[in-house]
Amino acid sequence: MSGVLAQLGSFFNNLFGTPVAFAATEAAGHAEGAAEHGSGIHVVLKAEEVFNLAGFPITNSLIMTVISTVLLIAFAYFVRSKLAMIPGKLQAGVEMLFQGVLDYMAETLESKALARKFFPLIMTIFLFVLVANQLAFLPGVGSILVDHAGSMVPLLRAPAADLNMTLALAIIAFLVIEITGVVILGFFKYAGKYVNFSSPVNFAVGIIELLSNIGRLISFSFRLFGNVFAGEVMIVVALFFVAYLLPVPLIAFEVFVGFIQAVVFSMLTLFFIKLSIMEPHGDEAH
Amino acid sequence: MESLLTAFGIDGKLLLAQLVNFGVLFVALTWLLYKPVMKTLDERAAKIAQGVEDAELASKKAETADEDAAKVVKGAETEAEGIVAGARDLAGSEKARIMKEAEARAAQVAADAEARATETAAKALRDSEKEIARLAVLAAEKVLREGK
Repeated sequence: MSGVLAQLGSFFNNLFGTPVAFAATEAAGHAEGAAEHGSGIHVVLKAEEVFNLAGFPITNSLIMTVISTVLLIAFAYFVRSKLAMIPGKLQAGVEMLFQGVLDYMAETLESKALARKFFPLIMTIFLFVLVANQLAFLPGVGSILVDHAGSMVPLLRAPAADLNMTLALAIIAFLVIEITGVVILGFFKYAGKYVNFSSPVNFAVGIIELLSNIGRLISFSFRLFGNVFAGEVMIVVALFFVAYLLPVPLIAFEVFVGFIQAVVFSMLTLFFIKLSIMEPHGDEAH
Repeated sequence: MESLLTAFGIDGKLLLAQLVNFGVLFVALTWLLYKPVMKTLDERAAKIAQGVEDAELASKKAETADEDAAKVVKGAETEAEGIVAGARDLAGSEKARIMKEAEARAAQVAADAEARATETAAKALRDSEKEIARLAVLAAEKVLREGK
């Protein structure tokens, strides 16, 4: 796999090798970001280590993750300190968002109590992914370089452009979905959804569902990672060719994608929770 | 598989860090944001429900108050009518009494006047009888004198 990636890298080098040198000399004034990376477009699939804290690798994506978290907690603290019975504009907006999401969840889960229970998880996923994605468009992310072990690496990187972050979210969503199914339906009933000997067809369907369940780990993590990472690459490429104006619509589109991905991740988690608590198919009268 | 993990930079430590980070964010937002905001929303909903209930109660009360007022006005009207009727009756009987009195007095006055008139007439008759007698005497005297 890494061989394929290396090949891809050299392909990029071959493709952009000459234009890079050209652009670097001609547009050295305004394309410093691209020029500093040396030759070619600097595309790294994984988050790079910025420094090492007692054997713990601190990557640029991890730094951004922590920044997003701190900002969100500060925002929460700020909102709470201004909470009043008669809401201000900020509180009204937050309340509208919460109420809308809660109503939608209650409609989907067909239970107000369950909606209340899962609201913190769904809302946190949404807010975290949203803020993490949007922060990545701030100037400085990707363009501020620091020296690490002799090579220049970006200090900050979009959190979702690191598979560790998206995989962690996917694992959490996966665990919550499965555990919810077991808790609400009971272990044997829930397992019966996937291992079903009542007929060969049901058995095959159960196995397929089991595989698709496990596949969610991959689809969840790679959907978010792929979208954000691809957006970054696209913007970098556009920046490389035309540094001014051209990237603007692309960045605007990526802002939209960042929002959509936050919605998609949280909504899919909600839908899968709903699927996992539904009664098995066998019980339905056909 | 392992090369896949390295290619994407999957690292147990980083994964754990991300999990912990999300856990911290989840707990912090739940305590700082979701619970207080939900509590405010619930409190406001309860307050609005209370307000609606109070308003209903008040309108019901206003309705009964209207009814009461109508009842009171009706009672007052009947009473007033009664009073007026009573006054009219009283006035009627008083008038009759006064007229009776007046009639009685008039009758008495008439009776007095008649009595006096009769007396006067009688006296006049007596007087005239005396005069006639005196005149007759005088005439007789004159006849006697001429007869001599």
